[in-house]
Amino acid sequence: MSEGALLAMPLLWLTGTLGVFELFDRISKRCNRHPLLHPVLWSTPVLIGALLVTGTSYDTYRQATFPLSFLLGPAVVGLAVPIWAERRRIRRLALPILLSLMAGALTSIVSAVGVLALFGAPTTLLASIAPRATTTPVAMAVAGQLGGIPALAAIIVLFAGVLGAMVATPLLNAIKVRDYRARGFALGIASHGIGAARAFQVDATAGALASLGMALNAIATAALLSMIALLA
Amino acid sequence: MAGMLRAIFLLLACQLAGEALHRLTGLPLPGTVIGMVLLVAWLALVPRERPALSAVTAWLTAHLAVMFVPAAVGLVEEGPVLSRHGAGLIVATTLSTVLTLVVTALVFRWALQRYAPESGR
Repeated sequence: MSEGALLAMPLLWLTGTLGVFELFDRISKRCNRHPLLHPVLWSTPVLIGALLVTGTSYDTYRQATFPLSFLLGPAVVGLAVPIWAERRRIRRLALPILLSLMAGALTSIVSAVGVLALFGAPTTLLASIAPRATTTPVAMAVAGQLGGIPALAAIIVLFAGVLGAMVATPLLNAIKVRDYRARGFALGIASHGIGAARAFQVDATAGALASLGMALNAIATAALLSMIALLA
Repeated sequence: MAGMLRAIFLLLACQLAGEALHRLTGLPLPGTVIGMVLLVAWLALVPRERPALSAVTAWLTAHLAVMFVPAAVGLVEEGPVLSRHGAGLIVATTLSTVLTLVVTALVFRWALQRYAPESGR
């Protein structure tokens, strides 16, 4: 088999992606999951470098790694399970959850789009940053629907996750919010899965509320943006 | 193992129904998010212990990061956009994340004291 044919094999890029990710995941685990060592943050540039060095088109890579991307769909649907598991707490804390969810989702959309617009960014970029607080697969789907760039949405979401996980503890201490339910929920709303992972490191209640916040915000932000898209 | 297969089927069926609703009714939510809502409804309508579903979704959630690597690699085609608007994207994302954290935490605490002061954890 010629060299070119091997580079076009789905197996090569699928295996390579898993291998590179696994490597950085081990490093991240060894360093106690520091947000800055998030494996996506490091495996993405390495794989981009591999594509450039081998002269492989992104289209070839995307098709080769389709089995991985496909799993995002059922993963999003599966967020129903933490929502259902927390149903008693949802009923008990209905108003705090509902009000802070709405306030958080609106704040996130308006501030992200507003600030980026001040920089004179085009609509495709505003559409890519609007869903920045949702979990990555939802952000990619919503950005795509609004005419944004899914890959850019994925990176923005990743950055928001890493940042939130890093600043949450000092920031929430500074504004004197000590209740772990409020802290966890805020982290899940602002920083989705990466925030939830951080919350679980600190406190189990904070982690559960963060997962719930992530799942509920996927619905809230997607719904808000869909309504805005319909009106626009 | 049969439970695993049924759990995977349930997830895919909800996603498929979500996509169908999205396309047929023009409901603007992404099909996967509609699928999530449908699954919550199904769990409420047919309540029972579902250890296999919990295991499958826990596995999917735990490996979410590797699944979006292919999308992130798509940045290889966005070089010009990133170099032109990179600063704005970083500032906007940073401010938005910090503000969202603060607003959500403060509203949650305020509503907790106002409406659910006696609730334990």
